Amino acid sequence: MTQAKTEEPKSFGHNEEIIVCRNVRKWYGDFEALKAVSLTVKQGEVVVILGPSGSGKSTFIRCINRLEEHQEGDIVVDGIPLTHDVRNIAEIRREVGMVFQQFNLFPHLTVLENITLAPIHVRKWAREKAEERAMHWLGRVGIPEQANKYPGQLSGGQQQRVAIARTLTMEPNILLFDEPTSALDPEMIKEVLDVMRDLAQTGYTILAVTHEMGFARTVADRIIFMDAGQIVEENTPENFFTNPENERTRLFLNQILHH
Amino acid sequence: MAEITPQVSTGQESIPFWRDGRVLGVLAQIAFLAAVIIATGWILNNVLQNMDKLGAFRCADGSSSFVCGFNFLRIDAQFDIGETTIISYDPSDAFSRAILVGALNTIRVAVFGIILATILGTLAGIARLSSNWLISNIAKWYVDLMRNTPLLLQLFFLYFGVILLLPPIREAVQPFGLPIYMSQRGIDLPWPVFMSSARLWIGFVVLAIFLTWILWVVLGRREIQLGKSTNRTGWAFLTFLLVAVVGWFVATATSGNNQVVLAANTVSAADLAGLESVMQQRLGVNDLASVSQAVSDGTLTQEAVDTAAFTVCTLRDDRSEVNLTAQLRKLNMPYSVKAFNRENLVSEAFAAGDCDLYIANKETLAAAQTAVSGATLIPIGETPVRFSIPSLQGLNFTGGYKLTPNFAAILVGLVLYTGAFIAEIVRAGIQSVAKGQSEAARALGLSEGQRLRLVVLPQALRVIIPPLTSQYLNLVKNSSLAIAVGFPDLWTTSFITLNQSGQSVQVFIIVMASYLSFSLLISFLLNWYNQRISLVER
Repeated sequence: MTQAKTEEPKSFGHNEEIIVCRNVRKWYGDFEALKAVSLTVKQGEVVVILGPSGSGKSTFIRCINRLEEHQEGDIVVDGIPLTHDVRNIAEIRREVGMVFQQFNLFPHLTVLENITLAPIHVRKWAREKAEERAMHWLGRVGIPEQANKYPGQLSGGQQQRVAIARTLTMEPNILLFDEPTSALDPEMIKEVLDVMRDLAQTGYTILAVTHEMGFARTVADRIIFMDAGQIVEENTPENFFTNPENERTRLFLNQILHH
Repeated sequence: MAEITPQVSTGQESIPFWRDGRVLGVLAQIAFLAAVIIATGWILNNVLQNMDKLGAFRCADGSSSFVCGFNFLRIDAQFDIGETTIISYDPSDAFSRAILVGALNTIRVAVFGIILATILGTLAGIARLSSNWLISNIAKWYVDLMRNTPLLLQLFFLYFGVILLLPPIREAVQPFGLPIYMSQRGIDLPWPVFMSSARLWIGFVVLAIFLTWILWVVLGRREIQLGKSTNRTGWAFLTFLLVAVVGWFVATATSGNNQVVLAANTVSAADLAGLESVMQQRLGVNDLASVSQAVSDGTLTQEAVDTAAFTVCTLRDDRSEVNLTAQLRKLNMPYSVKAFNRENLVSEAFAAGDCDLYIANKETLAAAQTAVSGATLIPIGETPVRFSIPSLQGLNFTGGYKLTPNFAAILVGLVLYTGAFIAEIVRAGIQSVAKGQSEAARALGLSEGQRLRLVVLPQALRVIIPPLTSQYLNLVKNSSLAIAVGFPDLWTTSFITLNQSGQSVQVFIIVMASYLSFSLLISFLLNWYNQRISLVER
């Protein structure tokens, strides 16, 4: 069991508030992308964010690791306030892993180099240790035999799994998924969702933007529905899909579930 | 009702050869090759026949051969070349040497041009991406201006409109008060000169690099053990600096009496301090630093200072002279340099009493000392590197490094012009790296420097290298426009050779083969590099 400790997040309890966002606001020029968004996520919780495109859900999770800068409000990640202090930003980024819609693997590096780049240069691990952990996670996502290939030689689903392994090797506590299956062919979506399901059960704190309703329904502890830069509804999956509170949620569900 | 039965092709018998794409492909290639061979053969044959009629390829014994056509290269060139690189040249040298001198000048323009254009282009390319309005717009205007006007025009403008309009040499412009002199005669820059003790110092620098490398590796291992970063860049830099500085002082201290100067009996001094007191007596002041103040106050006349100044006699381009004058300047002693082209002229001038100080190597000075009564040898120290500062002697600057107006025009012109194209290439390269790459790097916690070094630049380089190769080739080929500003490059000297000898075909063969080999060499190097960094795709 000692082995397991290094790969799983620290705590499984649902009590500690690990992400706290208070009245987060952001503008692109005159356009208000986030209108006073507040959200608290507890350690180990799986939160899925749904909403029509342009509703600000991607912008919101990208604010959490400072890929976008919010202009008003507070964001505190694992007790570290997200300010202009570059040291805080660096600490939060070490704590938070992110998986992108377009994978964003580094095309000039092999799969193994992609995964070990940040552990070696940011965590200062020995190459042997980094490679050992990388192979461990490549095994966990099911493609250890691809370690020495380049991203361009892999299928979309395999690339996204490499991207997940790259994120996990940095040993984050929190995982952000930004529409991780939207750029995949239908037959590859399942392999990525299986990995995400596995991670959710392992106890990571997960904040995922996705259009996979099946995943949201079965895996999420809580569903957030966003529209026009605001959180419109917060509910359990059961209630959200069967008995939504808000009219706009009902409209959204109608459009995607009965087409 | 037609019966549709799918025709299953079983092999070649179903396709006649005039419809077989494979056969047609081979036939087309054969036809094209034949056309090329016939066309070039006709041109070559024509040229060779005409040349033979003119007797261009005739040997001494009356027979004809390609090799004999180049015999003219051994004839004396009989024309002068303004400036040379590495090797010397005299009008009595052969045509072949004139062309070689030109080729070396072309290489000098190409090497300096490529280095400077790359630096300028990279800076301008990054500047165009800057969020600073002023910086990005200046870069934009520079690029647009240079790209949209003809290079020949720019060269003429630089040469006739800028450089030749600079003030005459006695009123040379000194930008920012630096010891850089710009005049009609060109640009004179300070230039480092290595003394004999430089060898020891360079040894120390090599040692410093080695120690820094070891420290870098050891600290890297320690970072891994500690699992956190230490400031190893800082420590490595400090170590390098320390060893290099210690080496500098060791080399200076051990150089001891490496260098001496022979002082005439008019200057009786045992060391540099003695020289100082001689000068104080001559000028009647206690502090030489006050002399320039006194001259401007009018208490001392410039003529008095000029008369009192030490006359230093030396062989032209002697390293020791740089060392001595650097020290005289440091102690505020006025001096003037008389440079001679031959050693015996210097010793004759010294024997005739024309010089206060005579600088040369130890052995020559020892011999000269015995010939002149009352002359004393004064040891002067040295540092591994001394800067040679241009100083006005008569109608020209001596010392430093001289860019002739012609060289300055062609170099600056090519650098400005090619730099604009390189700027666009660099900008395109950086912009071609997808935004997601930077986002992934940031999300993984890489610092901004690491992001650029490990993720963005390696990908941008692959886009930059192929068009950059073309720009390097353009720079080399455009350097033949040097003929417009009178810089004796390969084409200029070849063109004069052509006019003097009348051997046009041979000269063109030589010139084209030379440019072709420069270009192939550059392409080869950059293609090799490009292959090393290219992407592996599916």
